[in-house]
Amino acid sequence: MNPIHPQVAALLARYRQELRDNLPSDSLDARINRLVAGSQKNLTRRPGPRRRYGWAAAAGIGGIAIAAGILIGMRIERGVTPANLQRQSPALPADFSLWPADSVALQIPAEYSPQGTLVAVDPRAQSTGKRYWIDVVVSNDGTVRIERIVPAANKRKEGVPDGITLQAP
Amino acid sequence: MKKICDDTECMARLADGDTGALRNLYERHGRALLRLSLAMCRSRQAAEDLVHDTFVALLRGPHLFDPAQGTAFAYLCGVLRHRISRHFRQQKRWVALDSGENAVVDHEPCPTDEIARNETSAAVRQAMLELPLQHREVIAFCDLEELSYQDVAAILDCPIGTVRSRLHRARALLTLRLASLEAVDLANEPSLVHQGST
Repeated sequence: MNPIHPQVAALLARYRQELRDNLPSDSLDARINRLVAGSQKNLTRRPGPRRRYGWAAAAGIGGIAIAAGILIGMRIERGVTPANLQRQSPALPADFSLWPADSVALQIPAEYSPQGTLVAVDPRAQSTGKRYWIDVVVSNDGTVRIERIVPAANKRKEGVPDGITLQAP
Repeated sequence: MKKICDDTECMARLADGDTGALRNLYERHGRALLRLSLAMCRSRQAAEDLVHDTFVALLRGPHLFDPAQGTAFAYLCGVLRHRISRHFRQQKRWVALDSGENAVVDHEPCPTDEIARNETSAAVRQAMLELPLQHREVIAFCDLEELSYQDVAAILDCPIGTVRSRLHRARALLTLRLASLEAVDLANEPSLVHQGST
């Protein structure tokens, strides 16, 4: 038993009666009516557990993708060394490398055209005039310069194949 | 018993997507929920907002109701109780901009609310609002809404013994508070004064 003071009991009874006289306002009735009328789909939903898990899954996949990208990049970076490049390209001269060589020298056969300019020719084609060798150097920064132009008869030695030749600088 | 079956049926219909059942539940229990909310909140507007929130919560999760654990009304009371508790927790975060002498006392009931019309009821209301929330709610459920201890224990999710002891303490505090407001004369109740002050 929980005894209650008689005066308090009387006061609570009166207060209870006054509370019972309080009816929901028209505003509350209207809000409930709108709630009933609107479908459940129209309610603004809070992000539920599924949505939270969805974000977590997306973040996880993103993290894995970034890690995989870093790993692949590191492997590529380690794989492209001058030694590996040389191993993978047996057709290139042993002393040739693209990187970190400073420059590359090319020898291009050329002849004078009727317009009076030197033009590159096919080294296996029949020579129609005087042939020259143009030594071209391509620097590592992309600049190209003509090192020298010499008559073919003076430059070429016997046993050396004609055509463009790659040389180490 | 018929009413309980109807409530359970309404909850089942609501869970099946029939929002019209919400209207039936509001018509049946809306007034009682509003009374409870009015007894625990300082303003009528807040009380109505919380009742509305209770029905919104019901519409969002009707499947959370388990008829084996109690009546639909007890479930609604539980939802309302959680909303009220959250409402007061949120209110604690607010700080008055003007904390000086001219600060508006925000917990004074709005004169237009007129929840308690006569002086003695106003005193009871004021005394109740000054009680801690867990004591206020047990008086609202047991003494104002006159629910059984078993129902209140189900709503508060605690043993019946806890409801009894909490109610005992709440009544003592309320009596002392009413005495301080001179609504109750405790001249012949020294034991109650001693009990309330401990």
